[in-house]
Amino acid sequence: MHWRVSSLISCGVAAVAALLGTVDAAHAAMMPPAPARAGLTAVQAHCSACHRETAPGHFDRISEERKTPEGWAMTIFRMQNVHGVRLTQKQLRTIIRYLSDVQGLAPSEIRAGRFALERRPNHPILKLPYNLPVMCGRCHSLARVALTRQPASEWRKLINFHVGQFPFLEYQDGSRDIRWWKIASTQLPAELAKLFPLHSAAWRQWRNRPRADLAGEWIVHGDTPGRGDYYGTALIKRKSWDRYGARYVLHYANGAAFDGSSDAIVYTGFQWRGTGTLGGKSVHEVYFASANGARIGGRWFLDGHAEIGGDWDAARIAGAAKVMAVIPGALKAGTRQRVIVVGRGLRGGVDLGPGTTARIVARRPYGLILSVRVNAHAAPGYRTVRVGGVWKSDLLAVYRRVERLEVQPAFAIARLGGGTLAPVDAQFQAIGYTNVVGAHGKVSAVRLGAMPVTWSVEPFNAEAAKREDVRFAGTLNQDGLFLPAEGGPDPKRRFSADNTGDLYVVATRKTGKTAVVGKAHLIVTVQRWIHPPIY
Amino acid sequence: MNLKFVLPVLLAGLLAGCGSVLSPGHARRDFLVTGAAPDHLFVINPRTQKVVSDFTIPGAHDYVSVIVPSPSGKVAYVLVNRTRSIAGINLRTGKEVFRANLEQPGERVTCMYAFDVTPNGKELIVYVYRTRLEIDQYRVQAPRFLIFSTTAGLHAKPLREFPAPRRVQMILAKHDGRSFFAIGFNLYEYDLRTGRLIERRGILNWHRPHHLRPDMLAFWPVTEPTGIFSSPIYSTLVGPGTPPGGVPETSLLTLNLHDGHLAYHDIGRTNALIFSTVIGPDRRWAYGAYTQLTKIKMDGTHWRVADRVTLPHTYYSVNISPNGKEVYVGGTMCDVIIYDARTMREKGDVQLPGCADQATATLRVIERR
Repeated sequence: MHWRVSSLISCGVAAVAALLGTVDAAHAAMMPPAPARAGLTAVQAHCSACHRETAPGHFDRISEERKTPEGWAMTIFRMQNVHGVRLTQKQLRTIIRYLSDVQGLAPSEIRAGRFALERRPNHPILKLPYNLPVMCGRCHSLARVALTRQPASEWRKLINFHVGQFPFLEYQDGSRDIRWWKIASTQLPAELAKLFPLHSAAWRQWRNRPRADLAGEWIVHGDTPGRGDYYGTALIKRKSWDRYGARYVLHYANGAAFDGSSDAIVYTGFQWRGTGTLGGKSVHEVYFASANGARIGGRWFLDGHAEIGGDWDAARIAGAAKVMAVIPGALKAGTRQRVIVVGRGLRGGVDLGPGTTARIVARRPYGLILSVRVNAHAAPGYRTVRVGGVWKSDLLAVYRRVERLEVQPAFAIARLGGGTLAPVDAQFQAIGYTNVVGAHGKVSAVRLGAMPVTWSVEPFNAEAAKREDVRFAGTLNQDGLFLPAEGGPDPKRRFSADNTGDLYVVATRKTGKTAVVGKAHLIVTVQRWIHPPIY
Repeated sequence: MNLKFVLPVLLAGLLAGCGSVLSPGHARRDFLVTGAAPDHLFVINPRTQKVVSDFTIPGAHDYVSVIVPSPSGKVAYVLVNRTRSIAGINLRTGKEVFRANLEQPGERVTCMYAFDVTPNGKELIVYVYRTRLEIDQYRVQAPRFLIFSTTAGLHAKPLREFPAPRRVQMILAKHDGRSFFAIGFNLYEYDLRTGRLIERRGILNWHRPHHLRPDMLAFWPVTEPTGIFSSPIYSTLVGPGTPPGGVPETSLLTLNLHDGHLAYHDIGRTNALIFSTVIGPDRRWAYGAYTQLTKIKMDGTHWRVADRVTLPHTYYSVNISPNGKEVYVGGTMCDVIIYDARTMREKGDVQLPGCADQATATLRVIERR
């Protein structure tokens, strides 16, 4: 029955897709919403002693909240650590899966806080109205707030919990000069409920929607700051209703293997959470499938070092012809090099635009391997990449010289390690730009992507120079990765200070006698003592 | 030699000598008290620069913080157990003589660092936050002042309770024994017997010309040897001669516990004094701790930084000997340094056994009689 329903729906989706002029979702079989029995039984067994089941399947407090799987995991973690709930790993997973499915968030409700789930480092906190930046944003990225949905009564209980559990929050810098409790206990719950209510049309529609079967062959590309772009294929197999296994055959731009595999649970029908390996390292995957199951995108990161990871973009191997990426994304005039055009259905000849000559070396499931020669006098600027009848105009640029370097992130925070705490590293990359003179003499910058550069650090100001922050705070390697020093008092420093630092991270690219320099600001600060899945 | 002249000189010398030996008023009997994780209460003799007692506080649960000595110097009341208990420890024997476990059935009660003992040593005034723990939710309750008898033993229950404002950080008993001060958004004064609010003034509403609303957070209730509490308080100076946005300025707040006089004096740009200060016995010098030891000249209305020396590391807590000759810095890590108050030269560095971490423990000076 299960398969018959999904194949029927699959046919329906294919028909609709054909009507809309796209066949992207043709292979995305659809399945019914989550089976709930095991999860409901587990919640009844382990949660209902305190959270009364007031109606079948409706539990005090629990049923008044909606969250991400990470949000539920954090709540249950607290129940285990503070309130003595005992669960096996299997029971824990069952409850998280159940609650994420029946009280989760719709894709549109995740958008604003997705960066936090993906553990993107140095991401600015969310901009939220009212006085939420002061009331909540002093400790949270505000993604934690934006990834929770509940009525005012529950927001009020959450605020009461905060003061009960962390009474000193009223004494912290930023709250001690305002009437924090008065604001928190009167106007704040209603403001939060207005922004992030329990009930929403998006969730009503999403909850009962058939979910995509993500099994199949996929084309993948992405980039790893510090290592560059990668590409290849993924084979995803469905193991059970919401569990998948995946094998990745990937390469870096220079052809080096970056293979891997993963086991994943897909929560709420679209939230892929995988654990596996990539390039021989243990990684976690936080990906999101599109509603029609035709795309999977997100970020993977190293186990224990969430700040180190890469973007991930996957599209089904079958579907309408499409150019997805060009690796590398910038070619220097007067050179010949290997270029990968990542895409599907790439049949016919290839053309990379004026001043270039491209020869197809090999056709692969993920696209084309080209040998490209760029004329020494080729004009700098973007090129339209054409393969057969498909084209894309913003994926490739030609340049003669790099005229500007922009170090990203422009402002970063690294944290000292020490003892049982791993440091939080900071990965930089130098994005090159060249200038193009347009029709009316207007100069515009063309982005060339990450460039190889020489990396160094400098004191950010005179005070940092006096403190010798460059000497003490850590080291920057030639991949642009800053590795912080150990935390704790350092007797070699003035005041036995911690090895904190205020630095410039400097990228230098020399061509002949000229050098282009880019700088970013790096704060190396104290350890982070807690590592919640959502800050 | 004319005996008529020699005798008085000899006598005077003898008397003076006898006096210094015999008169208990002239012999220094002051000791330092500090605490450290996980459960230490130390007594230090500053003359020998040795730890003379290392007591264990029962049920400290890896947390030793604010220390308030009794007026007699015989007992130290210590905030322990992650702010949920106050233990009274006899400073001669190390025996626990008082214990208030603040938690109640179904209610989490934490002392927000703010408590003091009355001048007669008979009562403890404790400021608490309360949260009711219900089956599936927490309910924040209004804060309270709890008054305990110091003779209540090891299962002390409050004698009296009064409603209290939120966000109080310091309790200081007034020396007339009739009222106490609470420092929070404002300086509040309450009747010790009835809990009636007598007066509310100052602090965040200090209304000083050219000064923006200040910031203050002090958890070191040091009032010895003068009976004047002092603390850095931070603001921004605006107006004529200042750049746009103003300049950060540190002032010293003083509260005289004898008469309730509250004053603020600017001492300079905010750069090297963060945590605590103490007023010297002659009321001409104050000292403050952070990564540097700062000496402040209290010259009429014009107070200024007179000297500053670099400390080996951060120190949270500062204190001074009753004669004003030695300044002590402690807290934070595992040593207490003794400085000559006049020259600001180091006289000794007392290492605590096992390098016990003092963290927010208050460094107090007691006088044994």
